[in-house]
Amino acid sequence: MDGSRTKRILIGKVGLDGHDRGAKFIVRALRNAGYEVIYSGIRRTPEQIVRTAVDEDVDVIGLSLLSGAHNELLARVAELLREEDAGNIVLFAGGTIPDRDIPHLESLGFKWVFTPGAPLSKILSALDEELKEGV
Amino acid sequence: MDELVDQIRRGDRRSLARAMTLVDGVGPDVTELKDRLRQSTGDVPWWGFTGPPGVGKSTLIDALVTLLRRSAHRTGIIAIDPTSPVSGGALLGDRVRMMRHAVDRDVFIRSLATRGREGGLSDAAVHCARLLELASYDPVLIETVGVGQNEVDVASVADVCVVVLGPGYGDDIQLIKAGLLEVADVVVVNKCDLPEAGRLLKEVHSAFAGIVGVAEASRLPDPHTPDSAGSDAEGDESVSASVRRVEVLGVEAKSGRGVEELLDTLMEADRVAREPARRQSLHDRRVLGEIRRSAMKRFEESLDRVLSNPTYRAHVDRLLHGECSLDMMAGRFAADAATELYRESPDAGDVPGEDSA
Ligand SMILES: Nc1nc2c(ncn2[C@@H]2O[C@H](COP(=O)(O)OP(=O)(O)O)[C@@H](O)[C@H]2O)c(=O)[nH]1
Ligand SMILES: [Mg+2]
Repeated sequence: MDGSRTKRILIGKVGLDGHDRGAKFIVRALRNAGYEVIYSGIRRTPEQIVRTAVDEDVDVIGLSLLSGAHNELLARVAELLREEDAGNIVLFAGGTIPDRDIPHLESLGFKWVFTPGAPLSKILSALDEELKEGV
Repeated sequence: MDELVDQIRRGDRRSLARAMTLVDGVGPDVTELKDRLRQSTGDVPWWGFTGPPGVGKSTLIDALVTLLRRSAHRTGIIAIDPTSPVSGGALLGDRVRMMRHAVDRDVFIRSLATRGREGGLSDAAVHCARLLELASYDPVLIETVGVGQNEVDVASVADVCVVVLGPGYGDDIQLIKAGLLEVADVVVVNKCDLPEAGRLLKEVHSAFAGIVGVAEASRLPDPHTPDSAGSDAEGDESVSASVRRVEVLGVEAKSGRGVEELLDTLMEADRVAREPARRQSLHDRRVLGEIRRSAMKRFEESLDRVLSNPTYRAHVDRLLHGECSLDMMAGRFAADAATELYRESPDAGDVPGEDSA
């Protein structure tokens, strides 16, 4: 298909925490980097995230989490995506995720896990790289 | 492609979403798909919502969808936000107001960016709305950002047109009144919970209530409505079928107050838009608008090529030396641009005329 198509990214917040300054910061940064960005708003369920991603036919989902329940919620998103036959969507996560959980998340299909303090440039270049060759 | 169209008809969500991506881009299959969609749709009225950013359009649509779902209407929504001219990116921020419908199988929401396409309404929106229609969503709601002139754009495809204003957003009635009159079936003043809304609502009322819109008459020719034939005979009270009243309503989208009344008004407008003669003229207008936009684009491209040809230097000199008028020169360039187009695709010349058959 058309490789020069503007890429679409869903930034989602699952879990119970209501802080979304970080997520909104990423949303704006991605917009400024030339992506079309959809933001889910706070406290979304994995079902809402996956439905949105499929209907909007996004290329990437980035999930932000500050609550503790990341393993469960993120696993559920990955599972639902597979059920929807949408495993082609690139998944990444960011937030307060302990290092010891990262390998598990990666095994679920999360391409990258960014912990607090990860420079924006790292996120942008990872996406850039992935989406350039990804089509 | 037949398979894709069949799958969408059968309600396959993933196919619908993918087809929207297709019509939102450019590709070899796309023209064919678009032609096919145009042939297969046109029966469902589209409701357009326009107004300044931040006025509460998305919140209002969210509230309307909640009511529409109560009466089991399968509802489709296209929400358009502007592309940043600097980065080419866009913040598609409408859906966040509608998340409670995200897992409802009978609601389909798609966000689009304008991608530098003229006006608030992207060409892709028309085709995405058709895709929703094909998938049996009815009604189809379209949200666009618009102030003043841009509203004309949504009106050229929407069958029911709602202009949303609010305190602090679009107070300048006089400025936008002309543009509004052209297009609005309903003017909504949102955020009536705010104290400043009262004054705005009063102002809008006195500006619009009782004014009979002349929108239809100034739009494209409308050969199918009865008024072109019969209305002359009626008395001076007669308001031709295509001339409408502009309804004014105050609402609170956030709390839902007034939204039921708005829906009643919209359902009535929807009913009128489904009357066969009206349906056909609205659909004709939409398709003519598409032809016009596409033809204009081709013509402008051709004209740019003609104007960039170095041999036209001499003509510019003639103009500057007073040997001919600007009108003459412009006519010449326009004719050349058209000739160029004809040379590129001589077949195109046979399409519109019945005489060549
Ligand atoms: N006070 C008040 N705020 C509202 C109302 N409806 C929407 N808003 C707020 O207005 C802001 C913009 O709403 P949104 O629907 O995104 O506007 P849009 O840009 O026109 O789509 C949000 O913060 C809404 O919560 C209302 O009836 N009253
Ligand atoms: Mg909006």
